[in-house]
Amino acid sequence: MVGSPVLLIAIPLLAAFLIPLIGMIWKESVRLIPGLVLAFMLVSSASMLLYVTNNSTIIETIAGWQAPWGINLVFSPLTGFLATLMIFLGFIVWLFSYRFKRNVDFEPAKKYFIFLMMLVAGAVGIVITGDIFNQFVFIEITSISAYALTAFYTGRNSAEASFKYLLMGSLSSSALLIAIAIIYSQLGTLNMADIADKMYLMPTGYKITALIFFFMGIGIEAEIFPLNGWAPDAYTEAPGPIGAAFAGIVVKAGVYAMIRLVFTLFDIPNSMQFLVVIGLVTLIVAETSAIKQDKLKRMLAYSSIGQMGLVFVAFGIGTAEGVFAALFLMLNHAIIKPLLFLSGSYLVFNSKEKKISEVNGLGKHMPITSLLFALGAFAIVGLPPFSGFWSKLSVLTAAANEGMILIIALVLIVSVVEIVYYFRVVNRIYFFEKSDNVVVQKPRINAMIAMLILGSIILVIGFDPDIVSIYLHKASHDLMNTREYIDNVLSIGQSLTK
Amino acid sequence: MEMIYLILVLFLGGAVLTWLLGKISPIIRDILFISSVIIPTVLFFMNVEVGHDVSFQVLGYKLSWGISYLAYLFSYIVLGLGSLASVYAVAAMKGKKNLGFFYSNFILSIMSMMGILLSRDLISFFIFWEIMTWSSYLMVVFRGKDVQKVGIKYFVFSAIGAYAMLMAIVIVNSLTNSLLISDLVSSFGSFSLSMKWLIPLLLLIGFAVKSAMMPLHVWAPGAYSNSPMAFTSMFSGALSKMGVYGMIIVMVSLVSYIPNGFWLKETIAWLGGITAVGGTLWAVAQDDAKKLLAYSSVAQLGYIIVGIGIGTPLAMLSALFMAVMHAIFKGNLFLVVGAIERQTGTSNLTEVSGLIRKMPWTFISALFSIIALAGIPPLGGFVGKWMLYESLIGSNHYLLVIVVFFSSTAAFLYSYKFLFGFFLGQEEKEWSHIKEAPAMMVVPMMILAVATFVLGTFPGLVLNPIDNGLQELGFASTQGRYWEMSALFNEWGNQVMLQPLVYAIIAVFLFFAAFLTIKGFKHTRYVTTKDISSSGEVPKEHENLTFSQNFFQPFLRAVEPFMKRRIDTYYSGIGNGLEAIFDFTRRIYTGNGQTYALYAVIFIVVLLMFKNALFGL
Amino acid sequence: MNNELYEILRYGILGGSILLILIGLYAALTKRSLIKIIIGLSIVDGGIHLLLIGIGYVKNGTAPIFSPGFENSTANMVDPVPQALVLTAIVIGFAVTAVALSLVIRLYRHHNTLEIDEIKNLKW
Repeated sequence: MVGSPVLLIAIPLLAAFLIPLIGMIWKESVRLIPGLVLAFMLVSSASMLLYVTNNSTIIETIAGWQAPWGINLVFSPLTGFLATLMIFLGFIVWLFSYRFKRNVDFEPAKKYFIFLMMLVAGAVGIVITGDIFNQFVFIEITSISAYALTAFYTGRNSAEASFKYLLMGSLSSSALLIAIAIIYSQLGTLNMADIADKMYLMPTGYKITALIFFFMGIGIEAEIFPLNGWAPDAYTEAPGPIGAAFAGIVVKAGVYAMIRLVFTLFDIPNSMQFLVVIGLVTLIVAETSAIKQDKLKRMLAYSSIGQMGLVFVAFGIGTAEGVFAALFLMLNHAIIKPLLFLSGSYLVFNSKEKKISEVNGLGKHMPITSLLFALGAFAIVGLPPFSGFWSKLSVLTAAANEGMILIIALVLIVSVVEIVYYFRVVNRIYFFEKSDNVVVQKPRINAMIAMLILGSIILVIGFDPDIVSIYLHKASHDLMNTREYIDNVLSIGQSLTK
Repeated sequence: MEMIYLILVLFLGGAVLTWLLGKISPIIRDILFISSVIIPTVLFFMNVEVGHDVSFQVLGYKLSWGISYLAYLFSYIVLGLGSLASVYAVAAMKGKKNLGFFYSNFILSIMSMMGILLSRDLISFFIFWEIMTWSSYLMVVFRGKDVQKVGIKYFVFSAIGAYAMLMAIVIVNSLTNSLLISDLVSSFGSFSLSMKWLIPLLLLIGFAVKSAMMPLHVWAPGAYSNSPMAFTSMFSGALSKMGVYGMIIVMVSLVSYIPNGFWLKETIAWLGGITAVGGTLWAVAQDDAKKLLAYSSVAQLGYIIVGIGIGTPLAMLSALFMAVMHAIFKGNLFLVVGAIERQTGTSNLTEVSGLIRKMPWTFISALFSIIALAGIPPLGGFVGKWMLYESLIGSNHYLLVIVVFFSSTAAFLYSYKFLFGFFLGQEEKEWSHIKEAPAMMVVPMMILAVATFVLGTFPGLVLNPIDNGLQELGFASTQGRYWEMSALFNEWGNQVMLQPLVYAIIAVFLFFAAFLTIKGFKHTRYVTTKDISSSGEVPKEHENLTFSQNFFQPFLRAVEPFMKRRIDTYYSGIGNGLEAIFDFTRRIYTGNGQTYALYAVIFIVVLLMFKNALFGL
Repeated sequence: MNNELYEILRYGILGGSILLILIGLYAALTKRSLIKIIIGLSIVDGGIHLLLIGIGYVKNGTAPIFSPGFENSTANMVDPVPQALVLTAIVIGFAVTAVALSLVIRLYRHHNTLEIDEIKNLKW
């Protein structure tokens, strides 16, 4: 075991603070420090994940205050898995954007990497914290850096996208605060385990109201319909790698917060059905909206929203199998969608409008990037033998075991829609003629490595899904066992007070 | 290492290596390609034996690979046709772009078909099925023609089929907690009635798409004619047979056990009959040889489906026999078209004519295949069709026999058109430079042509393995005396060999051929189509006077009302309608941030209002 | 402080905070000007902060500070946690408002208007 969970949050925040200072002395450090920090975090988080998979959950109390009163960090198989995934993606995004376009200048690069560090710190914080208000703070940190990153390019409509995101984000934080206020007023505690422990004390009306406010607050981050109006715009206008970070990091954090609420904190059985319904609606609306898009990233954004809908459907099945499938889906989506965003951002690199029609015939001119995009497209629609297939299969199997035949049918019908729009793009890349005014941009070597890493992961998981299944099984077991979570967290406090 | 693993790994590795190393030099690429098809083929036939299964676990699903007698029969088709077509492809595709991609896809599709045949469980069956779908999809769009229309149509239909199958698979998994096909078959009797209907239906949708059964056939003509001919030969010959393979298993092992399941069988048989008639009529109307053959494939698959739908032992025998024969002759015909297209640059029957003297070997192989296709006695097609008629009459399907007979008669029309359009007729000046295709293309074609003859003369060569397969499916054992089922063989004294009849026919044929040739030799004068000025009318320069122009106009006019209703237009109507609806739904995202905020507020207000209904405890 | 006054104060704070939230929401949802929307959001924030403070209030409570002579009077202190929460929330609200205003400046330069209806280049 290397390091402790607190470092996963503290180090990137410290780095975000130090980057401009050290940057004054040595400019290149602005680009290098984030990489080093993320690499360290990755190693540390991965080794902790290995530890918690084989041993017990790591629980860290901050400043000596024990569980029910102080803030504590919980690095369990579930949270550790998600944190590792996010840090890994942060690293990929860093590697990809090491010298991406405008980052060549010092000033923008500085801002970009500061916010990237904050984004990763916030997202990791959301996942590993055990305190509900602390989670709110991390959500805000993530959101504010996400607003800033969305508005990164001054030339485009990015400010508009960012403003919409901010408008929704403010509503989200208000709703969260209200929900937290309700919970605190009833139970007098903010610790998640403690809340879960005492939840039976809370009157039903308050409980449901709090849950609804949480649904709204976190639903905005987790892109559920109809709270996801900001998402397509933000994905479209943010820089390509940031789109990847949104799909891989921010949304995953939102989904985690949501499922933690539904599975651990609240004991309302109908909320599972609600997840299924809202997930299906999100899936259907997003995928059908994607089919007629003429901008590449916007299409990917809708697809990303749709996938999140599917994740919620899988969680809503409510069995260990369903959770396993949902986590697998999250893992695959976190690998594949960033690959699509990264390769897609090079496909439309020099175009102003970022239209899908501008990728025509690029297969000959940028073979590897195009191939990786096609690989991503094949994987995300769930064609075997790529990784997406196994997660789709697990979702369907889990649904079938619960007898949800109609849901299987709907998911599969929507998958056909997904196939149509992804294949239309792939066809354009390979079988259309390139128009002359499209300028081809060869990817830099670091970007290429980042994309190749993602691509090879898709193939590896596709051919041998069992290399990740052990972690996923542990994580789903962790999420399903609320009692164990509560006992783990609260026992630390008791053992210290004794 | 298990031989089955080795074979699949060799295919896969061959596909990757052909692509990567193929960039070094074309010769390495070609050698790699052919060897990575031939070596696993040889290994398969030498080392893999029926009944030896290997199994392993992935994600907690138990997967199992092995081969059954039925699958072994189909592996003859896949690997035999695959090897020949791959040899052909090397010569036919010479000089084209992106060949590494083409070859590795070719290998992948052969691999996936073998994988389907080797799968003893539903998940690996589905995985290979999907690999087959996308690798063949990449072939359909390979030439970059009509990709958004034809390619997407093919993939959407395949996906609908495949997902129907996937749905059945996960339901089966939830019911039996196992994915082995044998477990599905053994526990099928204990399913509830609705599941007994649902599962076979979903599986049948999947297989019907691949075997181009009406009304799910609309992808077939475009996809068949759009891919390079070397692959279409596989596509129509072997790939569509995977649908037949699956259909046979479902119909025999599952549908037979549904109470009142014969209705489903009848429906399938009738759909097969309609497919046969529709495919034939459309084939007659085509001027492009590829389209003609594509529709003809649809029609021929219709016969096979009729046989499967009837489901008597004799009908099964005929269906499987026709499946093998169709793979051979239709595979060969597509190769012929490929050769002609390569030599002349066109596959339009109204443009090319009189190739008989330019491409004699191609002509002979085409002749054999056409005779087999039309079902004329000496060659293989006859045996299959005879058995089909006999089984239809034997099971009292008199109306269906009329339908099938009509279709098979109408098939003469396009057979004749194909043969005549390309090879006979006047010789145009512009085709005078045409030469015979290279030997690497002619040899596979001739091998297939000879195969049609051999199997027509010694049908027992195929009937034996078919009989093994049928016994495995649970049909009563015939102890090798399966031919007693058919009058065809009985009349000739309990033997599978039709030699006396065949030799007599050949002798007569050869006699007349020799007679006519010698008699007409001196008087023969070769003219072009424009050589009709003696009749007082001077044709314009660009007027198309080829014989095949408006070949069957009166016939087509007669069947026009029937052909007006194209199911294709309904599908595209549905597709366009859906897209219009989807275009409307995305307008939910108005672009106004305030509206989004309003949605959020409405969302929470609605939830709060109905909170007790939604979450009430 | 007598009971009646306490109740009035308590409900006054709760009612006032909810009123503030509603006023803010009204502004954010109906006003077309970006600046007014941001003001509305800030009012919502303020209302919520008031709500949080109201929750933590204890009858006759004193400031939650341990000082000489008050060591054992925790029962009479107002709950400190909501106050800490509100402090944090105020800081966050400040940051969000700052980002929002800077975005508005960018939007104004780009579109030459503050009407939210006219800023919808990104849609569908």
